[in-house]
Amino acid sequence: MEKSLNIFVLVKQVPDQGSKAGLNPDGTIDRAKAKRMLNPFDRYALQAAIHTKKQYGGKITAISMGPPPAVEVLLETIEHGVDRCFLLSDRRLAASDTLATAYALYKTVLYAGKFDLIFCGLQTTDGDTAQVGPQLAERLDLPQISYCEWFGLDNDKILAKRIIEGGCQKVVSSLPCLVTVANSYHPLEYKSFKGAWRVQQLQRNPDNLKKIIQTIDLDVIGADPDRCGLKGSPTIVAATEKVGDLGGNCQMHEGKSPHELVKEVLASTNLNELIKA
Amino acid sequence: MENETQNTNESTVIQFCPKGNVLVVAEQSLGQIQPVTFELLGAGRILADKMEKELHCVILGYNLGDLPNQLIHYGADVVYVADDEALQYYRTLPYRRVLIDLLESLPEPPHTMLLGSSTTGRDLAPRIAAHFETGLTADCTELDIGPYEHKSKVDPSKLGLYPNCLYAIRPSFGESLKARILGPWKNPQMATTRPGVMIPLKPNSARSGKINSVKVNLDPADLRLVVSETVKEATSGLKLTEAEVIVSGGYGLGSKDGFEMLEELAACFNNSAIGASRKVVDLGWIPYQNQVGQTGKTVRPKLYIACGISGAIQHRVGMSKSNIIIAINKDIDAPIFKFAHQGIVGDIYQIVPELILQFKAMHSTSNLGGKSIVGSR
Ligand SMILES: Cc1cc2nc3c(=O)[nH]c(=O)nc-3n(C[C@H](O)[C@H](O)[C@H](O)COP(=O)(O)OP(=O)(O)OC[C@H]3O[C@@H](n4cnc5c(N)ncnc54)[C@H](O)[C@@H]3O)c2cc1C
Ligand SMILES: Nc1ncnc2c1ncn2[C@@H]1O[C@H](COP(=O)(O)O)[C@@H](O)[C@H]1O
Repeated sequence: MEKSLNIFVLVKQVPDQGSKAGLNPDGTIDRAKAKRMLNPFDRYALQAAIHTKKQYGGKITAISMGPPPAVEVLLETIEHGVDRCFLLSDRRLAASDTLATAYALYKTVLYAGKFDLIFCGLQTTDGDTAQVGPQLAERLDLPQISYCEWFGLDNDKILAKRIIEGGCQKVVSSLPCLVTVANSYHPLEYKSFKGAWRVQQLQRNPDNLKKIIQTIDLDVIGADPDRCGLKGSPTIVAATEKVGDLGGNCQMHEGKSPHELVKEVLASTNLNELIKA
Repeated sequence: MENETQNTNESTVIQFCPKGNVLVVAEQSLGQIQPVTFELLGAGRILADKMEKELHCVILGYNLGDLPNQLIHYGADVVYVADDEALQYYRTLPYRRVLIDLLESLPEPPHTMLLGSSTTGRDLAPRIAAHFETGLTADCTELDIGPYEHKSKVDPSKLGLYPNCLYAIRPSFGESLKARILGPWKNPQMATTRPGVMIPLKPNSARSGKINSVKVNLDPADLRLVVSETVKEATSGLKLTEAEVIVSGGYGLGSKDGFEMLEELAACFNNSAIGASRKVVDLGWIPYQNQVGQTGKTVRPKLYIACGISGAIQHRVGMSKSNIIIAINKDIDAPIFKFAHQGIVGDIYQIVPELILQFKAMHSTSNLGGKSIVGSR
């Protein structure tokens, strides 16, 4: 490929649901206390961006929308080889649903400049909708390849394999294109020494850091505040209900020979109908 | 759930609520309607009846033959059919174009629009929602119609009582909570539902309905992506979401070879399939298609046998609705024993061979009595 590719990757910082810290007694997340992490699905998107850069050349731009601490995940992307970042951070974005988020990210992408490929994660572990990628593609009027588990580039085209119900589809699309990367794609490689060193240098020099990670707000990108946040969100959470403990009355079988244990289980359930005649 | 309309006072403004119909977007693959479509028609029928509206359905594809009639048998009053060679395989942009054109040609927008939260539905629904700037709730497990009083003063024009809203209900925060999500301001109100959750009607070939064909006008920009090949799942056997019995393996298997033993156990049943936890999928022991859970498939078989699976929340959400869950784990404190129905504390390599033996013995003797399985889905 002659020209240098502009590769965008969208990453989000999410609460770490694996750690007990920051979990309210009712199971909801106290975002202020919760440990934060890079959305696990976005690691595959990041890997796809890194592969593309390694194999075809180009420059990677990471984009995130979130409160100021989200800079942590952008630094992490730099350790992995991302070249520059944008963090869209603005109080007026609070309570954005997927439509409002996609609108704000759309304005950010336009602000960030020209691109050939946009990689998104399949979904986030907090929003958990898998909607932001396709909604962004709609705003940008792009073809999209969702659930992508393999791809390669060939003369301004992307060839890809995507998962569908009961199998997979092989597709060819023109560029630019938006790709959401499945978690059956390659796991993220270790950070590079070069990347880690670069982050160390940047952290010592705040002026340079500001150039590499640009923090922007709605005014900078020219987004309409009425289309963001609560106001720009067509959906609201009207009520929540606690889900009771599931079951909780497991009949336990232990301390006997395997033969006895299995006999006990079969005596307390009837599976006849399911067993092959 | 509490009722938000309880304290409605006299001054409450009654907001306009849309009066359109319910529209289900059917999903077909290689000439077969996908089960999630029948489930959506079952749910859509209830919503439409509640509002005294019609249930409409749209199907896209090529050489669809008798499929539109099947949709009527499963509950649709009107079926829109877009039959065109360019629609033979699902592709985002052409399908998007046809749906947007259809919605724009209707005398009024549908009140509610439903898709499956399959790979196809999750690809297509957000594009339509973004185009119409309307709300979309992903992966619902319950749907309903009901009133809502909006009291937030952020946007005063929205204050008031909305008599007929779509309640899109979905688990959140790792399923410890259920959230009821609404968006009555825009139409259609959209939702995708998890395959295997809604209940289809019994098909009735005496039902009648209207079939309308839809014009297909694609523009070159809609053809920027082409499908070069469609490959059916390499793993033979039944689809995970359709199996009556799932034998699932986790990290406790110790190695990839453990799945051979599970195959043998699965072979004792009619309509069985192999499932897995994400850990073993990530390790490459078994393909992603077999993964059960938050980031894999949601399944609801009559019998789920979990072998060496700890029962992490992300796994649980994909299988906890199974009728009978038998768990085998050597750790008595494994979380899976908190929600399984039958728990065996032991080593899978001792228990599973014994299960195979006794199941094989059962089908020769058969009918040993006992409780029968509840058929509720
Ligand atoms: C965002 C996100 C999404 C996820 N999505 C999913 C998902 O969709 N599906 C999913 O499954 N997971 C998912 N996970 C991962 C999940 O959190 C767990 O890590 C995973 O389910 C654990 O798999 P496991 O039970 O096989 O392994 P482990 O947790 O390691 O459990 C192995 C179990 O086997 C038992 N064992 C070991 N040896 C034996 C033996 N010889 N006999 C009997 N028992 C034995 C052990 O006691 C242990 O309980 C997700 C995680 C995240 C963060
Ligand atoms: N706030 C955000 N900032 C950057 N990217 C995001 C954000 N929210 C969602 N995305 C991207 O969209 C994908 C799908 O998110 P979701 O629709 O929330 O499940 C994620 O994996 C990210 O790539």
